[in-house]
Amino acid sequence: MNNKGSDKILSIYWFAILVLVAGGIFMMTISFYNHPYDVREIEAEIIINNIADCLSQNGELNSELFNATGFSEDFRTNFLAKCHLNFEAGEGEEGQYYSEISFYNAGDLNSLAYEITGGNKNLAASCSIQNEKEYKREAICVEKTFFSLNGENLYLIKILSAIGKAEKNVR
Amino acid sequence: MSDKNAQISDVITWVVATIIIIVILVVFIYASSVLAQKTKVIKLKEIKVEISEKNIDWVELKTSFAYSESSEENKQIIDAWREENEI
Repeated sequence: MNNKGSDKILSIYWFAILVLVAGGIFMMTISFYNHPYDVREIEAEIIINNIADCLSQNGELNSELFNATGFSEDFRTNFLAKCHLNFEAGEGEEGQYYSEISFYNAGDLNSLAYEITGGNKNLAASCSIQNEKEYKREAICVEKTFFSLNGENLYLIKILSAIGKAEKNVR
Repeated sequence: MSDKNAQISDVITWVVATIIIIVILVVFIYASSVLAQKTKVIKLKEIKVEISEKNIDWVELKTSFAYSESSEENKQIIDAWREENEI
């Protein structure tokens, strides 16, 4: 009788341990997959690649960037449409994308020759603090630089891309 | 008496085993949440397809095109910039 009782207790114990281990595995899975993948950096790089392709092909700057007098104001105004980018946010939502393109004459890399911006400018403020861990819920910024030619004139082009979307990428 | 002692040692064994199981589970749950935070940042460099022995950045390629088309003077500017930026 006593042996039967201890067997019963042991089987209840084993069942409890089984539930405990199953619950633990369930919690591990939930805690791992509950964190979203942060793809903002890759998204920013893809946008930069697209903009770079739009601005420069085979080492030459896009002819639409220039008019008879110099850099085109029309390209600056319609930059997003001309580069087939859509930075529009949903209704009532704040824009989650920002891009800034700066052109410098190769002869003087400190003086800005032309600048194009598009998207939500507020995101640019996060760029200076993004390396600090506590600010990971701020926008992610990526900057890339390349050279391109317009005839004999060489330009240094800096493309900065900032992506918000912290709710979808960070927990 | 010896039966009682055996029972007590049995209980202690199971209690210790249970504590060990719980501790291991807690460690693994914590580790999985830390891993999730650390490894779930995806960078383009990590998934880039190798098109040659050296992975070439798409934007850097633009500079190479400009370099090949440039005059000597412009090539010097690009070289100086590359040196400065360790590219």
